[in-house]
Amino acid sequence: MSSLPISQIEQKAKNIRKNVIRMNSHAGQGHTGADLSEVDILVALFFSVLKLDKNNLDDPGRDRFILSKGHGIGGFYCTLAEAGFIDESSLETYLQFDSQLPGHPVRQKTPLIELNTGALGHGLSVGVGLALSAKLSGRDFRVFVLTGDGELQEGSVWEGAMSAAGFKVDNLIVIVDRNTLQLADRTEKIMPLEPLEAKWEAFGFDVKSVDGHDIAEIIETIAALDLNGGQPHVILARTIKGKGVSFIEDRAAWHHKIPVDDQVMKAIRELE
Amino acid sequence: MEGGERTDLREVMIQTFIRAVEEGVNLAVVVGDSTSTSKIAPFREKYPDRVIDVGIAEQNLVGVAVGLSLGGYVAVTANAAPFLISRSNEQVKNDVCYTDTNVKLLGLNAGVCYGSLASTHHAIDDLSIMQGLGNIVILAPSDPVETEQILQFALKHRGPVYVRMDSGKFPYLHTAEYKFELGAVEVLHEGRDLTLAAVGSVVYEAFYAAGELEEKGISTEVLNVSSIRPLDEQGIVESISKTKRVITVEEHSLHGGLGALISEIISEQGVSVELLRLGITKGQFSKAGPREQIRAYYRIDQKGIVNAGQELLNRRHAWRNNKNEQAASV
Repeated sequence: MSSLPISQIEQKAKNIRKNVIRMNSHAGQGHTGADLSEVDILVALFFSVLKLDKNNLDDPGRDRFILSKGHGIGGFYCTLAEAGFIDESSLETYLQFDSQLPGHPVRQKTPLIELNTGALGHGLSVGVGLALSAKLSGRDFRVFVLTGDGELQEGSVWEGAMSAAGFKVDNLIVIVDRNTLQLADRTEKIMPLEPLEAKWEAFGFDVKSVDGHDIAEIIETIAALDLNGGQPHVILARTIKGKGVSFIEDRAAWHHKIPVDDQVMKAIRELE
Repeated sequence: MEGGERTDLREVMIQTFIRAVEEGVNLAVVVGDSTSTSKIAPFREKYPDRVIDVGIAEQNLVGVAVGLSLGGYVAVTANAAPFLISRSNEQVKNDVCYTDTNVKLLGLNAGVCYGSLASTHHAIDDLSIMQGLGNIVILAPSDPVETEQILQFALKHRGPVYVRMDSGKFPYLHTAEYKFELGAVEVLHEGRDLTLAAVGSVVYEAFYAAGELEEKGISTEVLNVSSIRPLDEQGIVESISKTKRVITVEEHSLHGGLGALISEIISEQGVSVELLRLGITKGQFSKAGPREQIRAYYRIDQKGIVNAGQELLNRRHAWRNNKNEQAASV
């Protein structure tokens, strides 16, 4: 997609966050904290980084994105609506019976979903296979995988990581939404992930760290990656779970809580 | 056991892969340190870029295969069935079946093929577990000819397929003219008194047993149920309605395998028939040891099937005689 000026992308992020609040409160369910955490990463990808033609999504040469943290689907649907891949009005059907927008990604229902995630630790291996397919078939597309940080407790992530380095898929870019919270509590309290940079480095990755809410920094960091260096990439994006709404930010309980009553207006006002 | 030519089913598999690539199939075979298990060497020599070895990491094996399929490959996994089925179960469920990717899962050395290596290496639950998943075709070839046919079908079929594979040399039950048909039960031999319904690499045991039973005056029909899903319910009903007696034979747990499927058909369709199920005892791990002895223990070898067939017929006759006596005494 053609890249927009940062100020316009920031406005997109605001719109998406407001829609997350509206959509989740309308649905009466949703992973609000996880949705808000990832929005700046998603807008950086979908309004700047990803090479894809809206009118030719079947193009085998286009970039791929896998939402490995499938519970962040609310943020993703709102991003797809903002980018015009799905109708904004369809957000009203989120989580309804047999809806086109169920609570985790379903490839058969929504454009730009590659993998039906929701069970954690699946995206990276599939990303490795996709990246490898590009190498083997002489295509130059890139594969982006967005994982949660709690998700990194899954052993399958590290099977995938080991093989990414083994297969030298330097067209693979993993982004970790490092908000330091998982379902019940801090990651470091439940099962420590740190030192995270050293772990990825030891697995053979090219490791970058960014402010996961600084859209320009995310875009610049990705642009500067060496895609011929023989090393897969990971970007540790420091984020705040529930980013943008004061009473949701950095609170574990908001992993899958939704705003009710006057909280909705209060949240929307904060996001203006 | 009868003589005759035998071929290793994995050699058939590898030759089928080679021919498929020659015919233009964009094939990638993913193995997990299972290059010897899959006897992949002749294929790898010809097409080194089409063999992906992920090491001992079954979850990643299936995930990488899924990624390759999303990138346009017909992705085939080739590793030992017990590890595929259990270790990577969630990848099979979500990434292959639910996502509906073009991945063919080959469960090598299924059943008690690994004999003495014991239950960690036995896959006596693969048909049951795969049937618990949505959106996957489930097949089990019976001999070298059908192995080739089924693999050719799988590579051309768009979507998830599981193939229960065996290793070692197996006898031929089909001529080169045989054509596998998805969702069709094959009548390998026609009979009137008894139906033997078998799946996979014990079909030949049933086939040879039928020959022996015929010599003993029991007209025996043999069904090769190589297509477990979709299943030819009508074909099975036709056979058992005719013979009124059926013995199911599988190197699989009696939980969730062929015997269970045929029990469902019998009860749902109200067919009046005597049923005897031969397989691994429900709720137990399989015995370990030489495979022939395991088969003998569970009566899924030729001799065991013959004995079971005679038993079932005698049971029937005993019941009839008993009833006649009762009638006479009234």
